[in-house]
This record gives sequence, structure tokens and C-alpha cells, in this order.
Amino acid sequence: MNTLALSMDKGNIHIVIPVYNHGEKLGEVVQSLTSEGYKNIILVNDGSENAQFPACLPLGITYIEHRVNLGQGAALQTGFTQALKDGAGIIVSFDADGQHVASDLEILISPLITGEADVTLGSRFLAAYQNPMPPVKIILLKTARLINYLFTGMMLSDAHNGLRAMNKQAVEKIRITENRMAHATEILFEIKKYGLVVKEVPVKVRYTDYSRSHGQSPWNSIKIFFDILFYKLFA
Amino acid sequence: MTGIQLLLIFGVSLLGIYYVIRLKKTVVDLMLMMLLILTAIGFILWPELTNKIANGLGVGRGADLVYYVCILLFSFALLKLYSRMRRLEQEFTKLVREDALKKVEKR
Repeated sequence: MNTLALSMDKGNIHIVIPVYNHGEKLGEVVQSLTSEGYKNIILVNDGSENAQFPACLPLGITYIEHRVNLGQGAALQTGFTQALKDGAGIIVSFDADGQHVASDLEILISPLITGEADVTLGSRFLAAYQNPMPPVKIILLKTARLINYLFTGMMLSDAHNGLRAMNKQAVEKIRITENRMAHATEILFEIKKYGLVVKEVPVKVRYTDYSRSHGQSPWNSIKIFFDILFYKLFA
Repeated sequence: MTGIQLLLIFGVSLLGIYYVIRLKKTVVDLMLMMLLILTAIGFILWPELTNKIANGLGVGRGADLVYYVCILLFSFALLKLYSRMRRLEQEFTKLVREDALKKVEKR
């Protein structure tokens, strides 16, 4: 692992962070990534109403702004397109609310470097130690996982984990058209469609009062389900 | 003529007039619309006609048949609208994305 980490060219890795409104943790998140040596950070402001956070960010990041709010899926796609333009070899999606841990990136990325996988997905259920999760959240995620299986045929241990890494070839193929949260399932459809190799990697997810208050509501999962259904019908 | 018949004919005629004035379509469209409106008025004036058709199709009452057909038509219209919405959203997304990517800030 250590030798691999040493051989990891972090200049090749681009990290896309979509953000909408709540940017309170953004400074910390960016800081944690840069201190781990990841310098290519693409921040996609998805039409936030409070525009004060760009000013407080450290230098050296790429800042993109949607003029109107489109949704996390759309923001990710914009970030991915920019990353490809900037010559990224590996592209990571990272949440802005501070629930992911920068030190998990190494284990997330290493299967892409060894060529073991094209896409790695973070899974909070594979991790040996995990912060206690709210019970409702566990039930929702288990259901989402089952729904993903029914729609894609892929039985994964987690669903809707914002931490993913993809190699350039995968990002070039994958097109996110689901602007809102259903993109997490759409990515799986695309993975399947192009026969990309997926690997799940254990990652930590921090459940703080902050992330809880800005996470998804149970009601939202019903909306996601219908988005997936309509995607299947019309896309 | 009963009150409900007057009300329905008034409503259907308004729809027809609105269609003709606001949405100037091709002659074929207009003729199709006229035909629909005349059929509707016909059924409003002679409701027994729907009963006969309904019986022929194995439905008890004309009103039930109209109800079933309406459900079908509305579902179809809803799906059409939804797919159009999705198309529009995708176009919109493309525009916003292109605009955003033109103004990338490297800090």
C-alpha cells in the first residue's frame, strides 16, 4: 500500500466537489484534501444563493458556477467535463459537507492505478469501523441498494455514497443526464452499459449533526425512485 | 336541454375557440379539433349514444366508458408532457453547463 501510495501521481488526480448553498464545511474539506497532497480540486457551485463562499477558499482550485441550480448530478457532470479538459487521469467525486475523509482516497484510488478496476465506489458498509448511523438512514440505504439491484442487476453493499473514483476512460464514457440525486443509480446503468469494472472500497462516512441536518430526507428517496423509473421509461 | 348540457357545451365551445384563436395550427389540426368538438357536443346533447357504444364494448354505462377513455387520454398526455419536460431540462442543462464552462476560474 505504501509503495503504491508513493507511486501515486497525485497531480493526475482531479477531485470534483459539487456544492449547493451550505458551504460552511467547504473550507475544511478543501484544506483536508490539499494537505493530503491533492492539488487539483474542481469546485462546482450549483447555483447557490449565498455567493460568499468563493472568496474564502484557498488559492489553486478551479471554480465553476452554474447560473441556476440544476442538481448534484448536473454539477458532477460539469465538473467531470472540466476535469477531462484539464487532462485528468483519475477523477474523484467528493461531498462538500465534510462526511468523507480525505485519507480514504488512497485506498479508493489504488485499484484504478493497478488497473484492477475502472470505477471504485465508496461503501460505508464494508468498513470495519463505522460511526453509528441513524436507523432510518440504514433502512433507507438498504432499500436503495435493493432498488439499485432490481434496476441494474448489481448487488452493491452501499447506495448513494458520494465518494467515487473513476479513470479517464470511464469518465469519457459515462454521461450523467439525471440532474438530481438519481444520478447515483444512473452511473451504475452507465457502468453496466459500457462493461466497466467496478470495485467497492470501504470508506468512512462521518455522521455529524451538520451532515444529518443537510442530508437527504426520507421523502427525497421517493422522488429519487420515481426519477429512476422515469429514466428507465424515457432515456 | 338541461343545465349540465348547457354548461358542458359552453365549456367545450370555449376550448374550441381558444384553440382556433391562440394556437393557429394547420388545416388538418383545425379540422380534427372541430370534429372532436362536434362529437363532444353530439354526445352531450344525446347521451344515450354513449350508452349504446358502451354496451357494444361491454361497458355498462356511457358515463363509465367516457371515464375510462379519459383516464387513458390523460395518462398519455401526462407521459407526453413529462418526456417533453425532460427534453427541455436536458437542453437547459446543456446551456447552463456550456455557460459555466466558458467562465471557469482558476484561482
